[in-house]
Amino acid sequence: MNINGVVIDDTFSEAFSMRATRIVITAINYKWARHAAETMTGFATSVIGCRVEAGIEKQLTHSETPDGRPGISVLLFSTDRKTLQAQLETRIGQCVLTCPTTAVFAGLYTEDRIGLGKNLRYFGDGYQSSKLIGAERYWRIPVMDGEFICQETTGVQKAIGGGNLLVFARSISQVLLACEAAIDSMTALPNVILPFPGGGVRSGSKVGSKYPALSASTNHRYCPTLKGRDDSVLDKNIEAVMEIVIDGLTTEDVALAMKVGIEAICDLGKSQGIEKITGGNYGGKLGEHHFHLREIVGE
Amino acid sequence: MSNCTLRLTLDTHQRIDMRWLSQAINAGMTSADALQLSIKIGNKTSQVSDVFTLTGELTATNIVLENSSSSCDYIGYQLPAGKTINVTGAAGHYAGAELAGGQLIIHSDAQHYVGCAMRSGMITVNGHCGNYLGGAFTGQKRGMAGGTILVKGNTGDFTGDMMRKGIIMVTGNIGNYCASRMIAGTITSLGSVGTHVGKNMRRGTLLFHKLPQDLPATFTNCGRHNLGYLTLLLDEMRKHDSEFKLLHPMRRRVQRYMGDTSVAGMGELLIWIG
Repeated sequence: MNINGVVIDDTFSEAFSMRATRIVITAINYKWARHAAETMTGFATSVIGCRVEAGIEKQLTHSETPDGRPGISVLLFSTDRKTLQAQLETRIGQCVLTCPTTAVFAGLYTEDRIGLGKNLRYFGDGYQSSKLIGAERYWRIPVMDGEFICQETTGVQKAIGGGNLLVFARSISQVLLACEAAIDSMTALPNVILPFPGGGVRSGSKVGSKYPALSASTNHRYCPTLKGRDDSVLDKNIEAVMEIVIDGLTTEDVALAMKVGIEAICDLGKSQGIEKITGGNYGGKLGEHHFHLREIVGE
Repeated sequence: MSNCTLRLTLDTHQRIDMRWLSQAINAGMTSADALQLSIKIGNKTSQVSDVFTLTGELTATNIVLENSSSSCDYIGYQLPAGKTINVTGAAGHYAGAELAGGQLIIHSDAQHYVGCAMRSGMITVNGHCGNYLGGAFTGQKRGMAGGTILVKGNTGDFTGDMMRKGIIMVTGNIGNYCASRMIAGTITSLGSVGTHVGKNMRRGTLLFHKLPQDLPATFTNCGRHNLGYLTLLLDEMRKHDSEFKLLHPMRRRVQRYMGDTSVAGMGELLIWIG
């Protein structure tokens, strides 16, 4: 199968079950809301090294936030609920509580809840107070610019992490052009984040390593400088490969993001140096979610 | 929504104890069985059927109480979630006492102890209320512990006495000793508030338009602030059909006083600015 000259590989992208939450950060203006959101989602590219994958989902207008101020919604994904809780608390405490004028609210309302301001309130040293409004409890912690408002809990739900696309192109500039187009389309969608820097990954990994201490290592079969090796999957004309990793709240969200990403790449076509799109998998043995590329684009 | 109509047929100045109605509702009784229950009127005991007529089944979600008077005490006592009692007339003492999630609507005035020790649910009084709104039973240490009381009139003295949680919204005036011994929760009024506000108030929020008369010396001025949580509170208050709907949700500039410093001193009195 090819679209606009770009080969869509007959394979699937393998993704994993995760636990996710959404929070809403508000501030006096977008500048400060974004400072907090970017800081708390920093160093959150992969659960392997960061324990959590996080990213900005979207910007919210004042009418979309609980306290009527400009806001940013952030999604966080982790392998289990406990790690997600720990990472959320640490990141809110260090990156949002500290950021001028911010407040933080739940962005998911599921039955399963984890603490948001539940433990953070102790920073108030006894001067904190809570307010039960409707069914939700909010904590008010006195800080030097007034009060830091944080909701007591936020919802958690099952989610999908590690959906991916691998893009093969004839040059680095062409693969970047294609990935940037895809990333722009995908980040416009709700319920998904692309946790890696700018949405792209150049260091695709495989499970294991020749060094026993490492659980993952470079996916050498996709490295163009090694394409002379027998086990390389790259044709001679491929000079760069880039991966886009997608975390989403549901399989439908991930599939839709992959679809719009593939479409954006294929719009550029072979004439722009894009040769192939494939998916990263481990033979289907590790992840329980399989996104077949050709099914996604509706073969 | 299914309906049941209950009509008071007795004209008396004696107190009528309405707890039989709660007993019947919570036990899931049929109307026929409920009419056989005994009812206390003053110091005498009668049968419900001698005093009330019932149309429809008490298992209905909406119960209309007609011809009620200020003699009818304990209307909506322990009313569970999913049940509504519409009182077309006045209500006596202890209306909505220990309310447990239900909705009580009183279309006229109510006497003392409305919402006494209520746990959750909603009480709306379209007229005035007496003393100890949202308070505690005599001898008890905890008043209203959740839910919302909306009074579209004035309330008497000791409003929110020993209140523990929930919101009391008063569109009119509040009497003296408002929030006395308040443990937590929120009381707000669009009118004026009497003297001795927040006596022994430990925590909680009082949100008023005007500074109450003779603010106790045990309240200290913390200056003017924009409090973000007021938007959340105003959003909640604006959900109800009342004059509170007219308040702008971003109206959160207030003068803040802390008190009562003679006790825990973690309560706050907020006066809207502008």
